[in-house]
Amino acid sequence: MAKDVKPTRKNLMQIEDRIELSERGHDTLEKKRDGLIMEFMDILDQAQDVREDLDDSYDRAQRAINMARAMEGDVAVRGAAAALKEHPELTTQSKNIMGVVVPQIESSKVRKSLDERGYGVMGTSARIDEAAEAYEELLENIILAAEVETAMKKMLEEIETTKRRVNALEFKLLPDLYDNQEYIEQKLEEQEREEIFRMKKIKAKKEEEEDALATEEEAQEEPEAVTADD
Amino acid sequence: MSSRTGTSGQGSNYEYVIARVRARSASLFDDDDYRKLVRMGTGEIARFMEETEYETEMNALGSRYDGVDLVEYALNRNLAKHFDDLLRWSEGALYDYIARYLRKFDVWNVKTVIRGLYSDAERTEVEDDLIQAGEFTERRVEDLLNAGSVEEVVEQLDDTIFGESLAEAFDVYEESGVLVPLENALDRAFYETLLSGLPDNPEIDSPTGLYVEFLETEVDFRNLRNALRLARSGADIDPSEYFIEGGQLFDEQEVAQLSTNLDQLVSAVRESKYGEDLDQALSSLEEADNLIDFERALDAALLEYADRLSNRYPLSVCPVLSYVLKKEREVDNIRAIARGREAGLGPDEIEQELVIL
Repeated sequence: MAKDVKPTRKNLMQIEDRIELSERGHDTLEKKRDGLIMEFMDILDQAQDVREDLDDSYDRAQRAINMARAMEGDVAVRGAAAALKEHPELTTQSKNIMGVVVPQIESSKVRKSLDERGYGVMGTSARIDEAAEAYEELLENIILAAEVETAMKKMLEEIETTKRRVNALEFKLLPDLYDNQEYIEQKLEEQEREEIFRMKKIKAKKEEEEDALATEEEAQEEPEAVTADD
Repeated sequence: MSSRTGTSGQGSNYEYVIARVRARSASLFDDDDYRKLVRMGTGEIARFMEETEYETEMNALGSRYDGVDLVEYALNRNLAKHFDDLLRWSEGALYDYIARYLRKFDVWNVKTVIRGLYSDAERTEVEDDLIQAGEFTERRVEDLLNAGSVEEVVEQLDDTIFGESLAEAFDVYEESGVLVPLENALDRAFYETLLSGLPDNPEIDSPTGLYVEFLETEVDFRNLRNALRLARSGADIDPSEYFIEGGQLFDEQEVAQLSTNLDQLVSAVRESKYGEDLDQALSSLEEADNLIDFERALDAALLEYADRLSNRYPLSVCPVLSYVLKKEREVDNIRAIARGREAGLGPDEIEQELVIL
């Protein structure tokens, strides 16, 4: 890499600018990575809680529906479920966590009161209510888990990208730039030394020539003086 | 399926019907059968059923269903066959007494058809879920299945006990778009005709008195279930909308007042004539807020009451009604065992859920 760079002062200045920019970028990205990791740890805790709740509510819902199917019959449970056509509504918005856009899922009509579930109250039992309630809770937890786990996934991707960028700066770009800087500096110093040496040489040569000229002039002046004495 | 209509007022054939009912009662599953069943796997249960009363239905449905679905559909078909026989055998007042209780299967069938239309289900799916144990004729059920819309179903039922209330509820259904008003109208029509036309103050210990008392208990327990579910749900629902006239436990105002406070409701039941029978279940309800255990206790209390009925007046509607309840309970119990085993529940857990005398 260093060999591809022309060892000019202009390039050195450009490289120095890039180094400064990269160092600043490296610090910022490191801070971002650390910040993302901290945010991620918070989301991870939340995701673990949500996942536990989801598992619990799934077990509860399965148990409730199994009991309802056992005691009321599969036909009755399916019938009660068929009495409702309206689906819960989900709206997604987005929020920004340290530059990462994560979804925010708003749900409505998930929890329903007894008179909103479609089936008649008089001809059904508490087991059907319990199964419906347990599934409403499960659905709420699924929506929450979807939100938290998507945020977690996106944060992880961002952490990974940031980490790659930090590493690229730290282990590739900056070392290359330092190498280039050192190479150009060395080259420039070398050129400077050569220049000084050349200048010295020229100066010495000039002095030599001047001395020679002076000696010649002196030599010419001396016979003229002898002639005058005569 | 029976195609007869009620002939209340004509002579009843109690001797014939009760003789046949006694024979059928003898073939109901006993405790030993349940003990065996709860320890079997689902395949074993199906095989066991093939060697019992349910053999014909198991074989007939075996090519279409398997596993626990086969058991459940066979149970429903067998129940329908037995109850249809009861209606076919009985005459006069006895027919009327039995029919008014079995109309709950007509309610079930209408609900199933309406739900099928509402959810755009296939006709065969709806047909499979029907339990043709009520008073509707095969022709009427077929017409209901052929209906293309909920409105058509409501029109077809115009000449039945459900006609008036369904027509009123249809307007509400059209406005709201949910089936609740139609389903409630069907249930209300069933419960309100359960006691209509029966003597207001029959002799207390007479067969009719016991029958009326049983129906009143059924209405009371339904009101109690509804009140408890409403109280527990906390929904903003007017409890009087779900009140069924005819019971002895509450009047409309009491229900409206008690449904807002679970404690007061429990104390009111404790002080009623059902307090003794339901004491344990009420305590459990207060402690654990467990409505399901309480509903099971209500079922057990009804069954026990029906068992008492069967021994009091051998030549009355009482043994028939007792058989109807026991048969329903048998079907519920076998289905609970099969579904419970399918869901991986242990024998103890299943036994706890069963209602056995």
